[in-house]
Amino acid sequence: MINLKIDGKNIEVEEGTTVLEAAEAAGVYVPTLCHHPQLTPYGGCRLCMVDVEGARTLQPSCTLPASDGMVVNTNSEKVLNARKFVLTLLFSERNHFCMYCQVSGGDCELQNRAYDEDMTHWDLQPNWQPFEVDASHPFMVLDNNRCILCRRCVRACGELVGNFTLGFEERGADSLLVADYDVPLGESSCISCGTCVQICPTGAIIDRQSAYKGKEIDVEHHVGVCTECSVGCQRDVLTRDNHLVRIEGDWDAPLNHGLLCDQGRFLPLEEDRPRLLTPLVRKDGSLKAATWEKALEAIEAGLGKGKGLAALASTRLPIEDLALFKSLFADGLEAELVTSLEEGFPTASLAALADATSDPFEDSLDALKDTDAVLSLELDLVEDHQVAGFFIKRQLQDGTKLIVADSDENKLADKATLKLDFKSKFLDQLLDAVENGSDDDGINKAASILKEAEKPCIVYGEDFAAQADEKELQALLELKQALNATLIGVKGNANSMAASQLGLDSPFKSNGYQSAFVMLGDEKPTQKLVKALEEVPFVVAQAAYGSQLTGNADIVLPITMWAEQSGTYLNMDGRLQEAVKALDAPDGVLTSQEALLKIAERLGIEPETDWEASLKSRVPTIEIQKA
Amino acid sequence: MSVEVKVDQNVREIVRTLVEEQGDEKAELVPILHEINTMFGYISDEAIKELSERMNIPTSHIYSVATFYRMLSTEPRGRHVIQFCESAPCHVAGGRLVWHKLTDELGLAKGETSEDDKWTLLTTSCLGICGVGPVMVIDNDIYGNVTPDQVPEILSNYE
Amino acid sequence: MKAFRSMVLVSSDPDSMERGALDVFSKLQQQIKAYDLDEEISLSMISDVSKKGRDPLVLVYPDAVIYGSVTPADVPHIVEEHLYKGQVVEEKQISPYDLSGSVAWLSARKGTLPAENRIVLKNVGLIDPEIIDEYIINEGYQALGKVLNEMTPEETISIIKDSGLRGRGGAGFPTGLKWQFVKGAKGEKKYVICNADESEPGTFKDRLVLEGDPHAIIEAMTIAAYAVGANEGYIYIRGEYGLAISRMKKAILQARDYGLLGENIFDTSFSFDLHIHAGAGAYICGEETALIESIEGNRGEPRSRPPYPTTKGLWQKPTLVNNVETLANIPAIIRNGAEWYKSIGTPSSPGTKVYTILGNVNVTGLIEVPMGITLREVISIYAKGMKDGATFKLAQTGGSSGSIIPASLQDTPMDFDSFKNAGVSLGSGALLICNEDVCVVDLAKVLLNFFRFESCGKCNPCRIGNKRAYEILSNISEGVGTLKDLDDLLMLNDQLYELSNCGLGQTACSPLHDILTHFRAEVEAHIKLKICPTDVCPMSGRWAYQIDGYRCNGVSLL
Repeated sequence: MINLKIDGKNIEVEEGTTVLEAAEAAGVYVPTLCHHPQLTPYGGCRLCMVDVEGARTLQPSCTLPASDGMVVNTNSEKVLNARKFVLTLLFSERNHFCMYCQVSGGDCELQNRAYDEDMTHWDLQPNWQPFEVDASHPFMVLDNNRCILCRRCVRACGELVGNFTLGFEERGADSLLVADYDVPLGESSCISCGTCVQICPTGAIIDRQSAYKGKEIDVEHHVGVCTECSVGCQRDVLTRDNHLVRIEGDWDAPLNHGLLCDQGRFLPLEEDRPRLLTPLVRKDGSLKAATWEKALEAIEAGLGKGKGLAALASTRLPIEDLALFKSLFADGLEAELVTSLEEGFPTASLAALADATSDPFEDSLDALKDTDAVLSLELDLVEDHQVAGFFIKRQLQDGTKLIVADSDENKLADKATLKLDFKSKFLDQLLDAVENGSDDDGINKAASILKEAEKPCIVYGEDFAAQADEKELQALLELKQALNATLIGVKGNANSMAASQLGLDSPFKSNGYQSAFVMLGDEKPTQKLVKALEEVPFVVAQAAYGSQLTGNADIVLPITMWAEQSGTYLNMDGRLQEAVKALDAPDGVLTSQEALLKIAERLGIEPETDWEASLKSRVPTIEIQKA
Repeated sequence: MSVEVKVDQNVREIVRTLVEEQGDEKAELVPILHEINTMFGYISDEAIKELSERMNIPTSHIYSVATFYRMLSTEPRGRHVIQFCESAPCHVAGGRLVWHKLTDELGLAKGETSEDDKWTLLTTSCLGICGVGPVMVIDNDIYGNVTPDQVPEILSNYE
Repeated sequence: MKAFRSMVLVSSDPDSMERGALDVFSKLQQQIKAYDLDEEISLSMISDVSKKGRDPLVLVYPDAVIYGSVTPADVPHIVEEHLYKGQVVEEKQISPYDLSGSVAWLSARKGTLPAENRIVLKNVGLIDPEIIDEYIINEGYQALGKVLNEMTPEETISIIKDSGLRGRGGAGFPTGLKWQFVKGAKGEKKYVICNADESEPGTFKDRLVLEGDPHAIIEAMTIAAYAVGANEGYIYIRGEYGLAISRMKKAILQARDYGLLGENIFDTSFSFDLHIHAGAGAYICGEETALIESIEGNRGEPRSRPPYPTTKGLWQKPTLVNNVETLANIPAIIRNGAEWYKSIGTPSSPGTKVYTILGNVNVTGLIEVPMGITLREVISIYAKGMKDGATFKLAQTGGSSGSIIPASLQDTPMDFDSFKNAGVSLGSGALLICNEDVCVVDLAKVLLNFFRFESCGKCNPCRIGNKRAYEILSNISEGVGTLKDLDDLLMLNDQLYELSNCGLGQTACSPLHDILTHFRAEVEAHIKLKICPTDVCPMSGRWAYQIDGYRCNGVSLL
């Protein structure tokens, strides 16, 4: 332990702590610009300089390791002058016209730091040279006139996301932010995760969707889990006057610590499907607006029960809804088929394995953040579950090896150490190779990479799960044992795992169903589903948006979309997290739960509401815990 | 540093060979970029893309390294590259007047390439031959103790 | 090696061969045998020592005598007079300085001037750097042999510490202490790096050692590696030094061939090998952590220190970084002892220093003199006075961020501490001597242009501050400067020193401080009178439009 004094306060910290961290612990505020708690300290902006007794010059507190007996002063005259100097220089380097900027007035760290020092105007004139603005990207604009060259965006694109799109060209005062080998951002390798926008301290990176729509002082925050996939990133949904303004990552989130992908951050704001606002009942061949009363009447008349009834629910919906759904249709109506729209593809085989072994075998996603070799099975983490992909990608430049085994094209393959063709019995062969060596060069190489690794990780997704037979799964467990590897099972949609726990994992095969109830939520129905439902004479759909499916249905009930409801979600590695309601639904639109309860009441059924108990109905692939 | 761009040779093939010969460890990045620059006169986008694949280093990193170092260029240059030392020792030895004459003769400003692609005029920092300043390097030829009168003659040596 | 009293070498390059070198060789063989000297005298053919028009050459070592245009008819006389009787045949002798063409002697003179003491430059220009045998004959690799066979690493470090050797790259850090830090650092894997980036304007001392005596560096690095516990080393040579790189490459191959580099050196259990890594044009890569970043395949941006390279350097392992000139002292110190080294120079700065004499003087070039010589002595004795009878106005010592010495300080002894006490810095040893035709504003502008151009851009003060300073000086040289500008320049100097991440930013503006201390009137003339006293600055009266921040209310027509 190290003891030091900061502004007269004594503080004890661990070896390796920086002076800035020690100051924070001591409750002393030191201004910074290039520093960010998620990134390795850079030491570029020189705003955090402090006076250290005995040192020749001021020292940067963000990079200086605290040492025993150090005496630090963070507000001497020298330090205060230095801060003003640094800020003055920064303002004069580029063209910082605050009056036109979307973050001016509270959301700009440069401006805020200047106000903190009681600065109100430029002391040094800029040289009025215009800098490039890159507006080629659909979601972000890079305005070099506002850049302070702190490199947070470059560091984040590399260290946090592992995409390394952003870089700096030239040197000295000619340094400029560029993408790839100086191509427009819109044509670059950018994957639109938006981490750079979130981390930029000034208005240099502009968020097109939300620019000028609301600053910190105007918006409300709603921190909850993202509902786009089974990674379950925490995100902060910003609203104003019941409108979505922006979605940001939550830097304090334990799993994704601020990261999001385009699906969780930008695409939800591009929603352009038609919204369903009233119940619809088919009459004389076409759907007509009706009251909830009338709709419920029609449901009672046509839904049926038992054999001939199929019920399907979207795994984008909260567990509460899914549990209620199961209770109503499986227990209450004894429907022939009660399943999720995923039909168990991402989860069934693995859930069966857990049932058989009675032992959860998968590991936390945190294992993926610190690994020296990854074997990815039939999983393209560039397409979906991107944040899990970030965990892998960002370690590749530091020596972590990646083996991609896929029967198809895989976008992660060009960064991989080894790309193999995934065929059936792949794991069996791999296990053999690990134990006895193999004739196949590729598999042999994979085996030796994994054996040499200290913390290998095997990650698989729904394509693997859908085709894995018992033997392959057995091999998976044996490989875990033999290599001392962690297993990461990537599931499907947000509540994929919950659906699995509730047993909502049977396939939907055409079986002459007479009626079907589809709890679609705000999911986009697949063509396959639409086609399958065309064969069913009576279809009731609960949906937020109009689609071909709702267009073909007999009864449509309008319900909330993701931002208008709260609920619990179970992500791929067993964390129970809350999605938080951020918007009020339009009048007349109910939540899925409310709609289900109305139906249940109508049919005289009292459904079970204890969803927590129902989650325990089978052994999970990974222990479930409240996040 | 003028080289005949071997138009019939595939940049990607050459890059591949270089990486095979020198290895794909990150420490070899600058030496390999230097080789490419010497061979082709500059480092093209094609070369960067191929190098990125071979060495498993992101293109943004390669580009930011290539533009950092003055001996490397990511833009094509003229047939003959003039590097004129603008550091203090050469300047004090009379470099200022030689530079005026040079810019006059060529009609180019610092950093420019002539319309006919014959000349690229660059200034450079100290090259370590200060004892014979003012110093000018054209391609691989070093000219020391240059006086303004000598400039036209020196330039006339080049096609 | 078998112990001979003399080595006779015959040039065998194509030109020499054409002119009968082989016949000369056989005749020598025959004559040496005839005089019964073949056990005492070794005879061999060597390549590429030719001097056009003087081939074939016959070199006799350790006498360092070279006979030119030798024919078989000359041989009996040479063997009898020189090899047998010990008398040099002067008619056939030619000057050694004609041999190594590009190791340039910049002034035409023979031998060494009074008070020069060649330690670092001992072999430069006197041996063929591409022949390892010539190095060996001149006490080459003896120090390494001694260290590996008779000394422990601790003893080796001890000698260097006792000698008082200080780093010659500019910082003057005690070398022995640095070696000790690396030795004591935690970790199995360590590196030794030779900083041959030499990009400081006016400095080319390292280049001469690299081109003229590469083996000295190899020997020194091997000794250092043994002392600190490293097995791998890098020589980082700036990319512009093509000849130095190729000579060093050749020297390494030859050393490996002779078992003086690589596995089990001198048949001991110590192994050490070297890589050459070429720079690509960045002055900042002379800073040790930027150099390390460059080797690792990154932009040359200096790291935050601490931790220092001695604990976390190349690939985060303990690394020793030493300048070429520093290393070139090592073999001599080992051979002759710490006391010998301390007897040269001053108590706080023992040994010699290589200075480059440049500018408006009669003779420019390199000298190696004991520490403590004064500027006046350098100018009058070595540089043979100001050129064309001009007057001394100022000298800049130590490179472009070095101090500006006015005439009044010409008698300050040039060693690290005397200079420090006088408020000036010694730096890398470049001495740029300026006459009264040099304008201080123009000079300052050129200096700041260099730093602005070479700044890596990582930290704000250096990146923006140097550009600002350059702009201010440009304005002054255009006749549109203000007196406030001078205050701004001094303020920039102070703040850049306090806040910059590395030495470049910290010292870039220091010449401005000296100029404003000693030559303020001349600068003010540009501002107040709008004239350039030396008629150098353009003074075009170009105006830069500026917005008065106080009055601007931010209304735009856009």
